Amino acid sequence: MFAQFLGLLNVLKDQTGLAQMTWGNVVMIGVGVIMIYLALAKKYEPFLLVGIGFACVVANVPGSGLTQPGGLFHYAYQGVALLIVPPLIFLGVGAMTDFGPMIASPWLVILGAAAHLGIFVALIGAKLLGFSLAEAGAIGIIGGADGPMAIFVTMKLAPHLLPQISVAAYSYMALMPLIQPPVMKLLTTKQERQIIMEKPRQVSRLEKIAFPVLIAVIVNLFFPPIAPLITMLMLGNLFRECLLVDRLAQTAANEVMNIITIILTVAIGSTMNAEQFLTVKTLEIVALGLVAFIFGTASGVVAAKVMNVITGGKVNPLVGSAGIASVPIAARVSHMVAIRENPQVYLIMHAMGPNLAGVFGTAISGGILLALLGVK
Amino acid sequence: MPIQDNLNGALLISAIDFVLSFVIIGGIGVVLALFPLLNRLGKVDDETLKKSH
Repeated sequence: MFAQFLGLLNVLKDQTGLAQMTWGNVVMIGVGVIMIYLALAKKYEPFLLVGIGFACVVANVPGSGLTQPGGLFHYAYQGVALLIVPPLIFLGVGAMTDFGPMIASPWLVILGAAAHLGIFVALIGAKLLGFSLAEAGAIGIIGGADGPMAIFVTMKLAPHLLPQISVAAYSYMALMPLIQPPVMKLLTTKQERQIIMEKPRQVSRLEKIAFPVLIAVIVNLFFPPIAPLITMLMLGNLFRECLLVDRLAQTAANEVMNIITIILTVAIGSTMNAEQFLTVKTLEIVALGLVAFIFGTASGVVAAKVMNVITGGKVNPLVGSAGIASVPIAARVSHMVAIRENPQVYLIMHAMGPNLAGVFGTAISGGILLALLGVK
Repeated sequence: MPIQDNLNGALLISAIDFVLSFVIIGGIGVVLALFPLLNRLGKVDDETLKKSH
């Protein structure tokens, strides 16, 4: 009787996920819990980390099959794999973003390219560590500090690295207020950090309406590989700037953005299973991502210093680090570092120009990378 | 000619990408510098746009 009871218990156990549970799964459940903790207790990107952390926990509990073909999380991942989710995020970003500061200071947009040296340092570093060129390209794009673009390029070049790259990209974006200031201070003098820049000009409604249309044409003409992302960014922005379809603009910026964020975070978290994530490659990618952010910040600041010399002291070099993208975090970091030096230095509007240009800088770098590697 | 999957390939792709990014972003900057000329075409009034729907 007792033996029969134990036998039944064993049968029951085999039908649960308990039998397939590994130490790796336990570690990754811990990682998921830490993500949720960081989101709730430390307020690190809670809109992203709550969903990613929860899906990471569930993905490492064997048995339910949520992440397997047919499971709900698997379909969320398909939205990412089929490259539907990243362009929809850009639609929402476009509807939330005022590109006026970028249009007002066209000479600062060059910082959006200068601050992307990190992409190439990480790319070369990844190659030295033995990654394939396609994998190295995907890792390098972490340095663009643009989550949807990192996901988009990774899905084209090295989809098997999506969990590591997306987690590294979003984690470092959340940590930018800690990563960037030491680099910025190291490369600038106190005097340079206190430079007060001239107020940018007022941008007219006509210019704001023409901007998304023109950029959409340029990107579709010259950069077909990344056209879906920038086209949606510009569509969202046109909704916002034309003032006639405010319902659409608000839906894109709120409801669509929120729904897509849920799908995206669940999709990323669900790929973080122990087998795929607990590898030396993950540590290498995380380290390369940090290197990319540091070099990107440094190259942006150095380029802004050069501009400051050329313009006879009119550019505060702190705006250079904002060229790394990650809107508006990087611009806010530039502003905060400046205001700590001198409460009268208001850099936020000036830093938003390079910051927005950084979105295009990352997109252009990613587009060229895809084109050179022959990916459509 | 396809880019080789080695360190030379990585250096080449990085150099081309970095330089081209500068050129293209610079081009966008030049186009943006011409944007004030658009205002010669006329003025779009915010209030009129908001009232027209």
